[in-house]
Amino acid sequence: MSRKAKINLISISLSLAATLIIITLLLLLINKNPIEIFSIIFSEVFASGYGIGQTLFKATPLIICGCGLAICFHASLFNIGAEGQLNAGSFVIAIIALQIQDLPFPLILLICIVCGFVISGVFGLIPAYIKVKKDVSEVITTIMLNFIILALINYFLVDFFAVKSTMRTQELNDNNMLFKLSEFIPFFKGSSLNASFILAIIISVISYVFIYKTKFGYRIRAIGFNETASKYIGLKTNKIILISFFTGAGITSLVGINFIFGYKGFYEAGFSNNIGFTAIAVALLAKNNPLGIIFSALLFAILDYGGLSINQLVPKEIMLVVQGIIILSILSIDKLVTQYFERRGAV
Amino acid sequence: MLAVEFSNVCKKFGNFSANENISFGIKKNSVHCVLGENGAGKSTLMKILFGMHIPDSGSIKIFDEEVKFSSPHDAIAKKIGMVHQHFMLIDDFTVAENVILGNELTKGIEIDFKSVNKTLGELIKKYNLNIDPHRKISRLSISEQQKVEILKLLYRESEILIFDEPTAVLSPVEVAEFFNVIEEFRANGKTIILITHKLNEVKQISDKVSILRRGKLVHEEENVNNSMDIRTLSSAITGNATLSETMEKAGVQENNVIVEMTDIKLKRENVKILNGLNLTLMSGEIYGLCGVEGNGQNEIIDIIAGFENNYEGGYKNESENISLVPDDRIRKGMISEYTIGENIFLKNGKTNFISQSTLENISKEIIKNYDVRVSDTNSNLGSLSGGNQQKVIIARELEPGNELLIFSHPTRGVDINATLFIHSKIIEERNKGKSILLISSDLDELAGLSDRLGVLYNGKIVKTIDSQELKNGFLKAGDITSNDALNVPLYEQIGKLMIGITN
Repeated sequence: MSRKAKINLISISLSLAATLIIITLLLLLINKNPIEIFSIIFSEVFASGYGIGQTLFKATPLIICGCGLAICFHASLFNIGAEGQLNAGSFVIAIIALQIQDLPFPLILLICIVCGFVISGVFGLIPAYIKVKKDVSEVITTIMLNFIILALINYFLVDFFAVKSTMRTQELNDNNMLFKLSEFIPFFKGSSLNASFILAIIISVISYVFIYKTKFGYRIRAIGFNETASKYIGLKTNKIILISFFTGAGITSLVGINFIFGYKGFYEAGFSNNIGFTAIAVALLAKNNPLGIIFSALLFAILDYGGLSINQLVPKEIMLVVQGIIILSILSIDKLVTQYFERRGAV
Repeated sequence: MLAVEFSNVCKKFGNFSANENISFGIKKNSVHCVLGENGAGKSTLMKILFGMHIPDSGSIKIFDEEVKFSSPHDAIAKKIGMVHQHFMLIDDFTVAENVILGNELTKGIEIDFKSVNKTLGELIKKYNLNIDPHRKISRLSISEQQKVEILKLLYRESEILIFDEPTAVLSPVEVAEFFNVIEEFRANGKTIILITHKLNEVKQISDKVSILRRGKLVHEEENVNNSMDIRTLSSAITGNATLSETMEKAGVQENNVIVEMTDIKLKRENVKILNGLNLTLMSGEIYGLCGVEGNGQNEIIDIIAGFENNYEGGYKNESENISLVPDDRIRKGMISEYTIGENIFLKNGKTNFISQSTLENISKEIIKNYDVRVSDTNSNLGSLSGGNQQKVIIARELEPGNELLIFSHPTRGVDINATLFIHSKIIEERNKGKSILLISSDLDELAGLSDRLGVLYNGKIVKTIDSQELKNGFLKAGDITSNDALNVPLYEQIGKLMIGITN
């Protein structure tokens, strides 16, 4: 295990180094000063409590969604449908929260978490069921379900729930919101960082224990490594695939807790801004390790927030290029490093 | 003239010496067997010869010319060819397409299939390969696929042919056919290198053997007029001379029927696979099932394991849980990425949570009780040798103490020591009163262990041989090193039944 961890660490560091080099070259190519740009990003993100708070705030949904995806990925299910799944759950969270505003806040939160989890989970269960029964690739079904879910939400939102001439629901009462961390830690003053960040860390720890320390986690990963063998070993592979897809997709709904209870107080069409896709990269970068996902989510949050700060100098879309390069280099360098160690070390 | 000459070849992986100062020659126009246990270094040596590994020191000469290979490409250019244990074929391509892949003969921009087919036709005829170049690989049996691999080497005009355990997957009749092809090669001036575990085959076909043990060359012997002594070979391989120890079987109490299959019929994709199969498994017995692969063995397993429910006929199973040791350990038997402990916990874990130290303790216990040889308790199962992997799989399946055990090719590709250990475990379970179904293509193994033996052909048991007949017809139980095994009349009879000859 520790050897594996070492190999992972080396390959991730090498990939990040490669990305840095490529980006430097790219900036030079378009005649910008890389040092200037890197230092702006650095000072914007790290120089103030506000910057750090905003970065952690942006990392929150990525951690949550990344952990959900990691569970799917461990079962070798390439879930590309997180964007749809998390929106379905978040939408339902907002709708239900508005209906039960008079209940005590902890109860509202609990009901919303359960309902959101189930709704997102069910939308994960559909492609998993089709895969298990008819062997249809989940890549296709999940990506198609994204369109269906988002269109359905738009329909319900516009026709029934939206505030007139907007694309959002009504707002929750102020006393039904999660606390901001700046209330306790003045350092983060002004940032939107809220209690959801703590929730995200808890989810990450629970996911880690679930995947690596429980019997069920061992079974999920076994299926991911070798489904045929798992079947012959006597595992109920179909049931495990369904449960892990339900759980993974369910977790993505909690992204809505951050946005609705921690930030805006309502659901808004397009709020997720492709978190469901970015989280794929976040999970990949961390090799699907939920604790690692905290760090890779932070990296992507730095890129995201830092991107805003350099918008006058270079288009902030350059950060998307950075994300793409990270994924490509992770995938290619990982193979090289693993091969190198196998050739050197294995018997 | 020497076709291959190894001089002081050394190869280390980390601290482990896979090959240590190996020097020997392989004569042109001969059949040379390389023997040794799993992990003795024979695969490493062959991979060096085929350019897949680069030796740390030492030199190799091919036809008196010193060579340095950095990839199989270089070896192929020097007319070396290798048939791997796991075939490298593309299922959706035809025989001809597979053979020419990488060596396509073109006419303009098109592949010149006309002359390809002509060349292939000549080769097939010359070496009696009896195979249709237009058929798809997915429709060929294992032995036919092997012929395609051979054809590939011939098409590339290889002069030195390396075979890695070529007979492990073949039935006795197919083995005889394979040996005819080998004889034909020798007659045509080719050099053949065989890696194998089956000593009576070595005696039958080889001109010379080289035996490796723990990375060193320990024994070499010429086989003049098939005079080799199998006992000498096996003690050189294992390093000890006491091999013929056999386990006594306790008296059978054949009263409880555990599994009963009556007139089972099964179709898959409109092909009839089981055609009225009758099979009864009793407690306290080992029921051996022999037959050419693809005659319904896998489907019988699937029904008993509960993977297949769309059959007709009567099926009763008194055992709640079954233990299954599948035929293909890498693909079906284990999670290569998991440690020993993790593989055991996966199936037998009684708690929902597990700590690293508990897993380590499970590993240690299995290593001790099942004689698994491993340098690091926490290494992945995939990095162990085949015999040790198989011991772990058997440990996992025996630990729960289920009433019904299925062993499918339990010692395929496993060395002699591990084979003996696995056989003793199987007999031990039988003596505890367990019901055991043993599927194998190794007649020696079946004969040595089975209480009853069924011959499977075309989805049906065509003959059941009872224990008395087995005792009279075969040699001592478990004596896998017997010199005369191939000459027993019952073997011949079974061999014929397996391919559908009933007279």
